[in-house]
Amino acid sequence: MIGLALLLLLGGLGLVLIAEALLARYEVLVYVAGWRPPTISRPDGTSYARGADPNRPPDAYLIYLDGIGKRRFHDTRDGGRLVKSLINRAPELRVLGQVQPYSPLAVPLADRPVWAWLRRHIGLLLFLHNVMQIFVAADRRYRPLYNRAVGAQIATELRVAGYRPDSGIPVVLLSYSGGAQVASGAVNELWSQLRTPLWLITLGGFHNGANDITHAQHLYRLTSAGDWIERVGTWIFPQRWRLFRWSGWNRAEREGKITVHRLDPATHIGSRSYIAPEARLPDGRSHLDRTTDTVIALIRDRLSLTAETDGPLP
Amino acid sequence: MSPVVAVLLLVAGLSEAAGRLLPVVARLSGVSHARVVGLLLAGAIVDGAVFALWPLSAWAVAGLVLPAAPSDETALVWTPGLAAPLVLAGVLAFPLLGPLLHLLLMVGVGVGLAGALATVAGVGWWEAAGCVAVAGVGLGVSVEAVRRLVVKLNTTRAPEPVA
Repeated sequence: MIGLALLLLLGGLGLVLIAEALLARYEVLVYVAGWRPPTISRPDGTSYARGADPNRPPDAYLIYLDGIGKRRFHDTRDGGRLVKSLINRAPELRVLGQVQPYSPLAVPLADRPVWAWLRRHIGLLLFLHNVMQIFVAADRRYRPLYNRAVGAQIATELRVAGYRPDSGIPVVLLSYSGGAQVASGAVNELWSQLRTPLWLITLGGFHNGANDITHAQHLYRLTSAGDWIERVGTWIFPQRWRLFRWSGWNRAEREGKITVHRLDPATHIGSRSYIAPEARLPDGRSHLDRTTDTVIALIRDRLSLTAETDGPLP
Repeated sequence: MSPVVAVLLLVAGLSEAAGRLLPVVARLSGVSHARVVGLLLAGAIVDGAVFALWPLSAWAVAGLVLPAAPSDETALVWTPGLAAPLVLAGVLAFPLLGPLLHLLLMVGVGVGLAGALATVAGVGWWEAAGCVAVAGVGLGVSVEAVRRLVVKLNTTRAPEPVA
């Protein structure tokens, strides 16, 4: 009896998984075919950017690309803590957190009637949908289209927030978990639309390493020995293996574009995650504090180096 | 061919066509819904026909290469049981793992066909499997060549981003 119930459960789950996987590509199709334009409208009271005074150019624009929990324009609980912390401690940055990394049409899942019903009844499906979107973004057949869609979405958000092409103001793509797949994929489109100095910071980045990040000046990889989810990404995607010398990731590594910063003993998720406010380090700081400090230090160091050399670094 | 098998093969063709459609449609800028439906139906008929030809081709290959040539009276044909798994051909569209899952599905169906051919033709399983594989690969390559040609003739490439 239990065996039959388990079989039915697994069968049902398998069917849901297949249906979701097949439907996951539909949004890319709609975007590319032009059946529906990407949305740029958002709820009243949601600002296009936060942080630095909008009446003068900030030192840098920071785009936060959240993990698979992202399903609204406004911040998720955990990602929101990091964004708020960054805004509080680095007032020179203009921060955009409303990008929808898992929606080529920039439509939050929570705003779709069917998904709103699912969220109330089977919330797990929202996470599954976003996981599938990461796989769509990583798939050789759909990757260029997905990258173009999300790159264009970020470029639009930056323009609306006051960014001027060729202004030379750096843009930092800070991505958490699966957001790294989207961030690395957006590089070419952002470069072609805005010619922006582009820096990437991945926090527990889960990505396939296939995207070409030639137009990014540098990628800072924040990782931890306790982060098994990021490690799984380095195992399951062949382009992350050293053997695939010509993958985008390995080329960037050979060019010295990737720097690793360890945030041990943080985990990917949970009460000891990179952005956990309760977990404490020996020096008394929380994991959230340390991650915030690290991100801000990397940006400020890069900014000062750029200022010293009076131009973008190679 | 029984009506049940004909319907199954048409559904399998539709499933296969749906699995292959997005990468094609994605290269058509401003494609209409009607055109997508047209492509889907055309693909369903072509892929369904290719599936229908698979056992016949395997039978023909067996007649050509095996010393004990099978008689034409008991030709290898689809049965509902053999054809049913093909309905899942749309799994090709599954992100990242799609091509692998599709290959596994085709190998599974091919194994079923090989068993049926071995029984009907009175040959060894491995010889039958070889005939089924040659027929399957031949049909696959042919239809892929036609597919690429059609795409090439019909595609208006969306402008690539300037590097």
